[in-house]
Amino acid sequence: MAQIETGGGDGKGKSHQKKMSIHVDFTPMVDMNMLLITFFMLCTTMIKSQTLNIALPSNEKVENVENMSQASADDAVTIILDAKRKKGSFDVDTVNGKVVNEVYYFEGKPGGDEGMFDAAGNILSANNNLQKAEFLANNADGTSQGIRKLIQQRNKEVLVEINKLKERFRKEEINQEQYDSLSKKVRRDEKLKKPVIIIKSTNQASYGSLVQILDEMQINSISKYQIDNMTRVDSVMLIDYQNNHRN
Amino acid sequence: MGRVQMKKKSTFIDMTAMSDVTVLLLTFFMLTSTFLAKEPTTVVTPPSVSEEKVQETNFVQVLVSPEGKIWLTMNNDTSAQWSNERMRMELLDKVAEIYNESHKNKISFSPEQKYAFSKLGAFGVPLANMGEFLDLAAMPEGTTKQDEWIQGKTEKVTGIPIQKEQDELHPTEFQMWMKAMRQTNNETLAQAIKDGTGVAIKADQNTSYEIVHMVMDNLQTIHMNKFTLLTALKTEGE
Repeated sequence: MAQIETGGGDGKGKSHQKKMSIHVDFTPMVDMNMLLITFFMLCTTMIKSQTLNIALPSNEKVENVENMSQASADDAVTIILDAKRKKGSFDVDTVNGKVVNEVYYFEGKPGGDEGMFDAAGNILSANNNLQKAEFLANNADGTSQGIRKLIQQRNKEVLVEINKLKERFRKEEINQEQYDSLSKKVRRDEKLKKPVIIIKSTNQASYGSLVQILDEMQINSISKYQIDNMTRVDSVMLIDYQNNHRN
Repeated sequence: MGRVQMKKKSTFIDMTAMSDVTVLLLTFFMLTSTFLAKEPTTVVTPPSVSEEKVQETNFVQVLVSPEGKIWLTMNNDTSAQWSNERMRMELLDKVAEIYNESHKNKISFSPEQKYAFSKLGAFGVPLANMGEFLDLAAMPEGTTKQDEWIQGKTEKVTGIPIQKEQDELHPTEFQMWMKAMRQTNNETLAQAIKDGTGVAIKADQNTSYEIVHMVMDNLQTIHMNKFTLLTALKTEGE
């Protein structure tokens, strides 16, 4: 391919031209191209970053507390993110310089109906309804575990409807657009019982765990969730839990 | 003694086909590549299942280092009217205006300094030092010095000042910049900021929540309640 044959005609000619073949060596060219390809391959970003949308509530002081939309204790699930602490102290425990995230939750009001404090303001450890969960992926058989299991149980009614829609979408009864609008409707359906999830995080927890828990909201089609600040009661419960579950 | 006559073989390998392939590959990479922007710090964004792609134009990127330092990048339209260079010059004017409202030591920038600012990618030095920073551009090896400054390799302060305690009357410099972004003439950007697609926070997954919370809190105070978090696509399972 890379050679040109210059034949000496049919041989009948007077001049006996020598048969010559010109080889063009492409090896340096290939070398150079490979170098350039390597350069472009290393400098290119093929995958674009993904984004996660967040809407925080306005932090203007609400004058009329009555007007605030309050989550009923039945629906409320509070999730608290924290970093793993060292045994016997509240210092953050790290593995290879990285924080290990922990996730806690309680349902309803802090401390249940009786509250975390008695009339004198003492902490009532017995009322602490905080529980520890874990970030876990699905089991091999597709069942959920950890914090996801809890969220799915609380959001059962919505998920049943969403799964029906998914099935219809798989059978191609509805297209993507219809699926999107219908699933949106299901998520907003007031008749279905769905939880209101309040996400709180201690200062020591990592940003990665926040994204992780926001992910869970998306995976489990939670329509009502918010990021909130830790209150005194939350901190008291967390410390109380950690004090009681220390080996 | 019979000598085995070895046939002389040419070892010439025809490279033409190989060359064809490499040129094709090269063309592909050249046409599809978008180069990584130079950033003052490298962060690993947390993985997420979200499949929404990051927008290409009209957004402000807030880069947060694990130590709590902040740099900003402003991405405008590709059209000439709202080009990055023009809008950055305007941005610098606006931020100086906002800064002078609340500080006794007034700052102002010369046309040369503004021009230097328009050429910056990610920026983030305290406004009081901004003039000095921009003057570096005119010096020999100025951009290298600027990079070193912004990456924190010198003893000079890098990152846009931000603090936890703030209110609308006493904005932090970070808030001033964000306000200035909203006030530039590029209405598409202002609208995007309002919709929440215009502000993207890029932070490392191991950054403590305290720092990210501070940034979010600062944004909340100036009524930028909606924003996006940059994430990477999750690889394993769900």
